[in-house]
Amino acid sequence: MASRQVVGTEPAYREPSHWCLTPDRRQLFICDASGNAIFIFDPITGAPLGRKRIADPYQLGYTPDNKYLMVNALRLDFVDVYDGATLRLVKRFKPGRWPSHLDFSPDSRWSFNSMQNSNTLVSFDLASMTQRWAVTVGETPAGVLWHRGKVLCCIMGGRGFVEVDPVSGQITRRVVTGDGAHNIFLDTKKQILYVSNRGPGKTGLTALDPVSFQILRQYEIPGGPDDIGIDPEGNIWICLRYAESVAILDPVSGHYSSIPVGRSPHGIFLNTMLRQPGRITAERI
Amino acid sequence: MGLDRLFSNIAGYMDQYLVLPVLFRLHWMAWDDLAFDWCLICVYGIFAVLVTYAVCLPLEAWRPVERWPDNKAVLVDVFYTFLNRVGVTPIVTFVLFYQVQTWSTGLLVEHGFIPPTLDSLVPGLFGHPLVTFLVYALILDCADYWRHRLSHSFRWWYALHALHHAQTQMSFWSDDRNHLLDDVISFFWFFTIGLLIGIPPLQFPLLLMAMKFIESLSHANIRASFGPLEWLFVSPRFHRFHHGLRAAGRHSCNYASVFPVWDIIFRTADFRDEYLPTGDARAPAALVSGSYLAQQATGLKLFWQALGKSWASLGIGRAAS
Ligand SMILES: [Zn+2]
Ligand SMILES: [Zn+2]
Repeated sequence: MASRQVVGTEPAYREPSHWCLTPDRRQLFICDASGNAIFIFDPITGAPLGRKRIADPYQLGYTPDNKYLMVNALRLDFVDVYDGATLRLVKRFKPGRWPSHLDFSPDSRWSFNSMQNSNTLVSFDLASMTQRWAVTVGETPAGVLWHRGKVLCCIMGGRGFVEVDPVSGQITRRVVTGDGAHNIFLDTKKQILYVSNRGPGKTGLTALDPVSFQILRQYEIPGGPDDIGIDPEGNIWICLRYAESVAILDPVSGHYSSIPVGRSPHGIFLNTMLRQPGRITAERI
Repeated sequence: MGLDRLFSNIAGYMDQYLVLPVLFRLHWMAWDDLAFDWCLICVYGIFAVLVTYAVCLPLEAWRPVERWPDNKAVLVDVFYTFLNRVGVTPIVTFVLFYQVQTWSTGLLVEHGFIPPTLDSLVPGLFGHPLVTFLVYALILDCADYWRHRLSHSFRWWYALHALHHAQTQMSFWSDDRNHLLDDVISFFWFFTIGLLIGIPPLQFPLLLMAMKFIESLSHANIRASFGPLEWLFVSPRFHRFHHGLRAAGRHSCNYASVFPVWDIIFRTADFRDEYLPTGDARAPAALVSGSYLAQQATGLKLFWQALGKSWASLGIGRAAS
């Protein structure tokens, strides 16, 4: 783990993007949207375990109770709900254009999905399989995170994220972080929020207080930062989409080094995350 | 691959500092993911033109088939090249293909069918990108052979293709010299095949570039063949024979653009070691040495006339030949 070198490369079809863990934590699903497939890996060793044909998986996640697997099919404008155990399609929503990111309420009743090209955040009731509300949040919404009873949604065509009340769908706060705010993460250990800002202009990470949303620090990192992971030493691993590399940032000193990895690194999973108790998602790290 | 990395990095800079600010300002950030692909297409396009230029120019100076008093007739081909390789055409093609592919996949998925990719269907392809590319390249090249051969067989289609053949000062710039309508037809031709086999848009940019390079080189004004490998790749000699005055029109030979194997299989190959003057004796002057617009207009006029003739011959009960 300490060599910080690429130790293996596995082929995919088109462009792998986001990931999720299966409820038993034995399989890591990685989306390959235009290849219409999910690639399955051993989350500890990284060994390939197979692949599954599924329509246009861009971003996906199990509900906290593991009953359903929800898949955002970005190109095809579908939000698909699969049975968590059998992976059979249960329900297909067509709530808007380019479903992008998603998260759930902790009781698994509601989902929140950003519609990248409809400028809305949409909520579904998974008990009745109906749409609850849709709220216009700003241009090109992306990353979604359930956080302290509210839903946070990044606005890529804007300069930050919005806080939405999950019951009413009303916007309760708007927070400025930087141009092209793309995704939002919670460092579960240190309780710090991070937002990746894609640009234009200054790109990088914004660290925020989880309650007041006050900016603690801005890290300037060029190269199109996307998803991030945090290792046990507290370093932040950042996918740099346009720099073909993963940056490793020491959040204390603000210095970073980078590892070349190949074109368009999108999502990142660190197997040390498996030590974490409770629910593991790409945004809760 | 080092070169691949360099290009992606250049495209990354281009995206971040040129394209993203524009998308942001125009409220088009939803296209951010695809913008990087557009930049890659441009970078590869520019590099392809540069490499072709760097290789072909000295070769054309060293062993030219023909020497011309001036290069005026070549200039318009340079314009065609930039338009097709770096400019608008590849981006428009990319966006259109993306849209239609998305739309057709959505339709299939709604009817319960998830289209597979070629590398998931054919055993042994997955995980072998070079073999996969070769299969894609052969399928596309075979399709191109038939497109080209058919464009010589129909009167109306050759009326358009004549623009490509009209050039009497054929050089490595001539590859993209085509009528816009002919380009549109090719586009739909490949579109259909691309949808059937599921082309990965940007999986093999370097290899695609290599294929395009062979096509440009095959038009170069160079007295050269590939010797013992002449049957493997289309050489300047092989394609020049297709551009020979004798081969213009409806009975031609050497239609392949990258792999001569199609001409060998379908019995249209001619490996004679001759370097003939190029052109189409029946092509009007505007098509030979006119400006870009004059060439396009004349092509359209000829197409219209040919279409009329084809209709007329159908009308009196004779099969159009
Ligand atoms: Zn021809
Ligand atoms: Zn030609």
